[in-house]
Amino acid sequence: MSRATDPAALLRGRIAIAALISAVAFTLVTARLVDVMVIGAGPSRTATGIAVPEKRADLIDRHGALVARDLPVSDLYAMPATFWDTAGAAHQLAVATGADEQRLKAAFAPKKGYILVQRGLSPEQRETIMHLGLPGLDFIDSYKRFYPAGRTLAHAIGQVDTDDNGVSGLELGLEDKLRGRADPLMLSLDMRVQYALEHEAAEAIRSFRAKAAGGIVMNVHTGEIWALASLPDYEPNLRKLGPTDSIRNRMTQDVYELGSIFKIFAFTEAVEEKTIRLDEPFSVVSPYRLGHYLIHDFERLGPELPAEMVFAKSSNIGTAQIELRSGPEKQRPFLRKLGLLQPLKTELPEMASPLYPRHWETVEAATIAYGHGISVNPLTFAAAAAAVVNGGTLIHPTFLMHPEPQQGERIISEETSRTMRQLLRLVVTAGTGTKADVPGYDVGGKTGTAEKAENGTYAHHQLISSFCGVFPIDDPQFLVFLMLDEPHGNKESGGFATGGETAAPAVGRIIARIAPLLGVQRRDTYVAANP
Amino acid sequence: MIRILNFTLVLATGLISLGVYRVAEEARISGIELRETRAAIAQENKSMAVLGAEWARQTQPARIQALAERYLNVTDRPAAQLASVSQLPPKFGPQPENAIRNANAVVPESGNSSLAATQSQAQSAAPARTLLHTGT
Repeated sequence: MSRATDPAALLRGRIAIAALISAVAFTLVTARLVDVMVIGAGPSRTATGIAVPEKRADLIDRHGALVARDLPVSDLYAMPATFWDTAGAAHQLAVATGADEQRLKAAFAPKKGYILVQRGLSPEQRETIMHLGLPGLDFIDSYKRFYPAGRTLAHAIGQVDTDDNGVSGLELGLEDKLRGRADPLMLSLDMRVQYALEHEAAEAIRSFRAKAAGGIVMNVHTGEIWALASLPDYEPNLRKLGPTDSIRNRMTQDVYELGSIFKIFAFTEAVEEKTIRLDEPFSVVSPYRLGHYLIHDFERLGPELPAEMVFAKSSNIGTAQIELRSGPEKQRPFLRKLGLLQPLKTELPEMASPLYPRHWETVEAATIAYGHGISVNPLTFAAAAAAVVNGGTLIHPTFLMHPEPQQGERIISEETSRTMRQLLRLVVTAGTGTKADVPGYDVGGKTGTAEKAENGTYAHHQLISSFCGVFPIDDPQFLVFLMLDEPHGNKESGGFATGGETAAPAVGRIIARIAPLLGVQRRDTYVAANP
Repeated sequence: MIRILNFTLVLATGLISLGVYRVAEEARISGIELRETRAAIAQENKSMAVLGAEWARQTQPARIQALAERYLNVTDRPAAQLASVSQLPPKFGPQPENAIRNANAVVPESGNSSLAATQSQAQSAAPARTLLHTGT
């Protein structure tokens, strides 16, 4: 019997063919399953192959208020080869999107390629463009960073570029934390406190016709920055600056000779080193000769003052004498220990390094004691001042939510810190900072008035006036710093533009406004400097 | 016999194919509905993101203050926190009788703010000299 007529062989052949067909079919099904479940599960791609950028996480303030968010927008591309009338299409698209018509006409003229018409179109603009009926248009889904607070917080938060990458401020400093994160990132900033700080700083600029102002509110135990303002500011939702806008963050990017506010550190050093008694009298007869240099006080303070009143009345002459008991050999390492001689490290990338003399001798020690000859940015100053009043431990300022107290390096003893708090209170009760007092909140602080250096000399009428306040003084929780650049005296200040007449009252108003927001309870007791 | 078996199997295969086709079609339709639903959810999420941002813009302190001054005739007056939530008695459990009995309030005099009134009271109660080491 031949194979062709053998029924068994015929059946085996048919079964083999059926098995082969089944195997091929199952292989195709398996391949498709792999394609759908594994290969197709990757990131979405657009029809044009242009990758959709990864979304940045939201930034929120410490109470959950929105600070920055990526909003869905569309980028519009066009294929000019499909246009009958390129000039007409350019005109229509320019009107609908706000793009530059001449640029579009020039780009469409060769009738080839794939041209970016406009970025960041809103859903309404997209709808309008769809109704134009133009062929060859393609919308690519994208994101645009939106800052609901506008100018408020502009310097601290910074900006992103057109590709949604951080280019300044916390947007740049927190770039790694913001990418690939689903949850919003909570900052230490408080929108309400920020507004109060900015509002009072703006009022001070207006009232004293100052060039600029800046302020900081910081928790002295946790190092959290609750608010940071720098005026003039800018609108981060726009891509261009107005004529009076400034992108410079004066609290971190600029360094200043801060003047008498620096006496805090000279006295902290003296108290820690026990080189003075607080009731010890010092001659403050003006001028005080130091080598070839003469040191003056702002006003005549009498033939002599006790050390505590040298601080309260802010005598340069007395402070220089006190500093010289320690000398430059001890002053320099002490300031270094406070972090005043090295760049501050925070999440903000824009941080200016301090400037100080290479040759640090007796004269330099005397002038640095009252805040001339050394330039630091205000945030660096605030961090050091916080260490003085918080019990004596160094803190690192942070813009991230961090409610636990920092366990920093001990800089000074708790006893020295307590004495310094009493001295700061004395400034407000009987010294140059009386206008900063806020009943119920026991403010302590120090005034500063520095002449700006210009062309190698000091300009007497161009001042940096500042006040650093802490409250409540018996157990300080918060530090409020305010600085005015070139303020002018007014009727209210008696014509003076000093820190005690300009910045101090503004800090008092800020504390009165923000203390309830900060959870600091008002007390009806009155804390004197010598309780 | 083998023919009957083959016929039965072919018939079963046909029926199963019809069944599979029906399931596949239902799955395809469900897939379309799922995609539409997901797109709708994504659209809603986008709308919520936009609305959340708009809400944040509308509730900015600067805007609220401007509206309050314009329509409510209120000025920017400092508030005073007289107590905190932690000092409130617990809702359940024993009530702190003493704390309630000792509670009091200072009513500001007319024409003065409570802060100003308290300031005058506080300063009158303060020692005459406020300097460190009263020998100065």
